[in-house]
Amino acid sequence: MAQPFAKKDDDRDEEAEYSPFLGIEKGAVLQEARVFHDPQLDPRRCSQVITKLLYLLNQGETFTKVEATEVFFAVTKLFQSRDIGLRRMVYLMIKEISPSSDEVIMVTSSLMKDMTSRTDVYRANAIRVLCQITDGTLLGQIERYLKQAIVDKNPVVASAALVSGIHILQTNPEIVKRWSNEVQEAVQSRAALVQFHALALLHQIRQNDRLAVSKLVTSLTRGTVRSPLAQCLLVRYASQVIRESANNFQTGERPFYDYLESCLRHKSEMVILEAARAITELSGVTNRELTPAITVLQLFLSSSKPVLRFAAVRTLNKVAMTHPMAVTNCNIDMESLISDQNRSIATLAITTLLKTGNESSVDRLMKQITNFMSDIADEFKIVVVEAIRSLCIKFPLKYRSLMNFLSNILREEGGFEYKKAIVDSIVILIRDIQEAKEIGLLHLCEFIEDCEFTYLSTQILHFLGIEGPKTADPSKFIRYIYNRVHLENATVRACAVTTLAKFGATVDSLKPRIIVLLRRCLFDSDDEVRDRATLYLNTLGADGSVAETDNDVKEFLFDSLDIPLVNLETSLRNYEPSDQPFDINSVPKEIKAQPLAEKKAPGKKPIGLGAPPTAPSAAVDAYDKLLSSIPEFASYGKLFKSSAPVELTEAETEYAVNVVKHIFDHHVLFQYNCTNTIPEQLLENVTVVVDASEAEEFSEVASKPLKSLPYDSPGQTFVAFEKTDGVPAVGKFSNVLKFIVKEVDPTTGEAEEDGVEDEYQLEDLEVVAADYMQKVGVSNFRNAWESMDPEGERVDEYGLGSRESLAEAVNAVVNLLGMQPCEGTEAVPSNSRSHTCLLSGVFIGNVKVLVRLSFGISGQNEVAMKLAVRSEDENVSNTIHEIVASG
Amino acid sequence: MLLAVLFANSEGNILVERFNGVPAEERLHWRSFLVKLGAENLKGAKNEELLVACHKSVYIVYTVLGDVSIYVVGKDEYDELALSEVIFVITSAVKDVCGKPPTERVFLDKYGKICLCLDEIVWKGYLENTDKERIKRLIRLKPPVDF
Repeated sequence: MAQPFAKKDDDRDEEAEYSPFLGIEKGAVLQEARVFHDPQLDPRRCSQVITKLLYLLNQGETFTKVEATEVFFAVTKLFQSRDIGLRRMVYLMIKEISPSSDEVIMVTSSLMKDMTSRTDVYRANAIRVLCQITDGTLLGQIERYLKQAIVDKNPVVASAALVSGIHILQTNPEIVKRWSNEVQEAVQSRAALVQFHALALLHQIRQNDRLAVSKLVTSLTRGTVRSPLAQCLLVRYASQVIRESANNFQTGERPFYDYLESCLRHKSEMVILEAARAITELSGVTNRELTPAITVLQLFLSSSKPVLRFAAVRTLNKVAMTHPMAVTNCNIDMESLISDQNRSIATLAITTLLKTGNESSVDRLMKQITNFMSDIADEFKIVVVEAIRSLCIKFPLKYRSLMNFLSNILREEGGFEYKKAIVDSIVILIRDIQEAKEIGLLHLCEFIEDCEFTYLSTQILHFLGIEGPKTADPSKFIRYIYNRVHLENATVRACAVTTLAKFGATVDSLKPRIIVLLRRCLFDSDDEVRDRATLYLNTLGADGSVAETDNDVKEFLFDSLDIPLVNLETSLRNYEPSDQPFDINSVPKEIKAQPLAEKKAPGKKPIGLGAPPTAPSAAVDAYDKLLSSIPEFASYGKLFKSSAPVELTEAETEYAVNVVKHIFDHHVLFQYNCTNTIPEQLLENVTVVVDASEAEEFSEVASKPLKSLPYDSPGQTFVAFEKTDGVPAVGKFSNVLKFIVKEVDPTTGEAEEDGVEDEYQLEDLEVVAADYMQKVGVSNFRNAWESMDPEGERVDEYGLGSRESLAEAVNAVVNLLGMQPCEGTEAVPSNSRSHTCLLSGVFIGNVKVLVRLSFGISGQNEVAMKLAVRSEDENVSNTIHEIVASG
Repeated sequence: MLLAVLFANSEGNILVERFNGVPAEERLHWRSFLVKLGAENLKGAKNEELLVACHKSVYIVYTVLGDVSIYVVGKDEYDELALSEVIFVITSAVKDVCGKPPTERVFLDKYGKICLCLDEIVWKGYLENTDKERIKRLIRLKPPVDF
């Protein structure tokens, strides 16, 4: 490709092929335009000059205001000529120059004359030019002629007026709306194009009047539509009417479906495709309605015309998102499109196949995609990688070929986002599919050997440190990790040192050799790398001193720090260098009130390299440690679940309080996180008085007041309840904050000795059934379901009453149970009438529970639900039913 | 809306470009995008063989005719099907004016007429005339014969 923007004036072929515009130059052409002023006009020469001007304009050349005005005035002179060819050029030229409003006046009289000319074609052209260059004021003067033109018996004139109408509607809608009657008449015209233009304009005029559009569609679907173009418009308008009347028809036939279906047999391909597309987009389309549309689309997949193949595969791709089963019949035709020369078609075919493919076709599909990947842009590739990731989760047995595919594309060229998508996918597969772990980790190791992205290298090294030591032969990863210490930048080197230490701490047989490697890192040029190496050598006991116990080391390397980093940072800042070393135990462990509470911050799904969803979160670990360190609560046993903080005060009040519900086997403990936001006050002896009269199954057993609550330094007070065993006790608690308030002198910061008792009303708090359920996902629901005893399955049906939508009903049940939706089944396609949602979780007592919810919605939005529960304990299955029945 | 009609020669130099409703600052981007698209895909394509692509929510149908490649770009109601109709009208009109699939020289010789044809076919982003016989008469300001 040569210079794409160069003008054609540097023609390379000097022989017969030279360009008639060779050496064209704006200044010279403008000079030539003076011939327009000649008293004896030479039409031929004038036409040539106009052509040159058009050539310049068509190549993106612009005229200055002065130049444009000059040309415009010159061109208006040409109206004197009677030469027809020249006149046609003049019309075009005026439109191209688009003169300013004060200049337009020069030509309006000439154009008005042409508009009333007896020569039809003069009229048509004058209408188009006038409509393009005039503003609203002149429009009033010519409106009468335009209305006449719409119903002119010459189709060229009528079309010119109608298309002008479409343009004028954007700027002066009130004028065009007055033409309704004429346009209505034109819709009945026998000329195909006039009908097409009239239909488009009439629809635009009436687009806000549903009834009128509905009437228009009704009359035309029964009448004659003369061109495929108009037929396509009608199909679109009909589907719009169906969409808007969706709420009015509850039972029986869908209006206009028969019309759409009959269009599938139209002789024009354009109409067939438009109708098929309209049918697939019907809201709540049934399989019976869908089938004929899919059949014609399938035929188009093997059309010789790329446009038809593209249109068909594009439509099927959309259908596959909501009705994947309906598209499976087309899979064979779609597979042949993977090798289509047109990459847009091939990409659409692949992503459709990945949505609809079955287990047996995976290998074949992967082979075909491999050839194609190198040809497409990164953004397409990411789409494909994401589709492959979900495919692998769908068919875990196929991990080998999918993992190979991912590792192959990982080695090829690509940008950060693309590489990150691949790495994320591999990590998810390693986590969800046990068998894929070893091979996946090795692929990641190979990748970091030649990875240009520091972020990805460090994330992979961190992941390797956690997963690598658990494999059968951890030693094979060491080489890859140690190579990083030699070859990479300081960030990656430091990360590699940490990973080595993790291997050393977990795998005893490797420890001596790891210590050798870590010693070499002591000579690194970077401080952080050297510091880490020193630290880890000490923790691993390399210097012969008494090493810390294995557990201590592992805890140090793998566990999250059980003190909030903010607190550690503050303590470190306050620490003044002295003989006394910094004591980490002096850092307060109290968790500062979190600004994001349950109701305000819906949790983000962890994806990619984040913590695995099955592991208990770091927050719960921290809570567990905190609570077991308080003697009053140490006897409650292992913490089962802690809720996210629930705000009990409005934002920006004097005292900010939120509560975390901790669930134990026999107890429920409320942790109230309080913050005093008034600098002039010190609160002492802070407690929360809880009224549990609406929570009969709970009885208060202990409370732990907070001694002192200074300004902006959060503290906690606790209240513990015993609950009835065996039932997920629920109830409502009302809370009042009680304290002694003391004035603080803002200058000295000292509090007065005497305080006043005071209280502060907090919002109510509820313990719900979902609090007794841990959100724990399963990687393969079907396997998990089948591995549970079918004997213990409990099934029942429930009516959920009238609901806003199916999605709303599904969401309500998922929230009620507090379980983890599996395989993305919590998402309900927008127009589906039935849906199955799969949930998994661990109920209090550490009982695994799986739930299969099947929903159906009737025409009146009445939702019915079938609930099937399997769990390790039949009583728990029954409890789940009770929760739903009482919810 | 028909966003653009563009003609380029075999080397990717622009012969005609007409944009509708495309901001001036985006035109350069479109121009280079289309020319690149053609350079990558039109090699070896037969005369009037239609190729199709989509870029964001915009559709592109393009083809080659003699030495000239032709691109039409549309959105909304001007999807790939409507565009293939538009490009069919354009190619038949150009062939009619030039008498055959044009060399670049012939195309430039007939430049004025081709501009007039385009003016009859697409007006400010809407398809206006579709019949090449009628277009042929209209550019000479002769009334159509078929009404």
